[in-house]
Amino acid sequence: MDNQLKRGLLDVCVLAAIKNEDSYGYRIIKDMKPYLELSESTLYTILKRLEAANMLTVRSIEHEGRLRKYYHITPLGLSRIAEFKADWEEILSIYRFITKEEEA
Amino acid sequence: MTKQEFTQELRNRLTGMPPGDIEERVSYYSEMIDDRMEDGLSEEDAVEGIGTVDSIVEHIMSEVPLTKLVREKAKPAKKHGAGWIALVILGAPLWLPLLIAAFAVVFALYIALWSVMIAFYAVVLALAVGAVVTLPAAGIYLSSGNPAGSLFSVGAGLILAGLAILFFIGCNAMAGGIVKLTGRALFGIKRSFIGKEA
Repeated sequence: MDNQLKRGLLDVCVLAAIKNEDSYGYRIIKDMKPYLELSESTLYTILKRLEAANMLTVRSIEHEGRLRKYYHITPLGLSRIAEFKADWEEILSIYRFITKEEEA
Repeated sequence: MTKQEFTQELRNRLTGMPPGDIEERVSYYSEMIDDRMEDGLSEEDAVEGIGTVDSIVEHIMSEVPLTKLVREKAKPAKKHGAGWIALVILGAPLWLPLLIAAFAVVFALYIALWSVMIAFYAVVLALAVGAVVTLPAAGIYLSSGNPAGSLFSVGAGLILAGLAILFFIGCNAMAGGIVKLTGRALFGIKRSFIGKEA
């Protein structure tokens, strides 16, 4: 798959993983596992990128005597997901057009 | 490998990056290992699942900008005494021109490399132009009642065109090689900035 496309996809996937409730690194990877394999290193880069873009915020919460980082989606992050869905509606309709041409 | 050993090695290997960055990354991987263990994995398995320190360092290096590493390296270390600083300043007339010269030499070699490449492409262009020019020449020979000359022109044109195509493929491969080599060299430079000196 095209790298640029994959990068955009992964960003939205991670946002989707924290959309309903705050989550932490290990859980994000676990939640995404049935859909796509994501390495810890890759996730780190994505989280950093999303934080820099103000699409999520980070806070450390104590858990079992240690600190765990929780990621929280911002309104900007939510609008990114909405934007992604709208884009893909469009792409899907183009896809349907392309495959229809093939069948004919 | 225990978590302690893993984080220690990672910290060592990342020396050269800004300390804040190192701590953040180490605590990130450390949290991952803790969460894996909490999920029922043994310490050994949890560390193993994260991947080797090598692969992690490789990944980090591929995305940390070179400028960041250089900036960190350029920061004066605290251990340097007044004598060392004085030496650096007094020695500037000596080492500064040498450093600039060294950079200039590397830069010049690189430019020279690409100049050769451009020259090769010029050869390709010359061959192609030669091939094209044989066509009207063949026409002129034919119209002036010289079929042998015309045939010779067409043949020469075909040979030139063939050579042009062959050379073009070779040139592209070479240019691609140089681009790849440049990438490798940049990666090597990054690598030299990171990690503890043995």
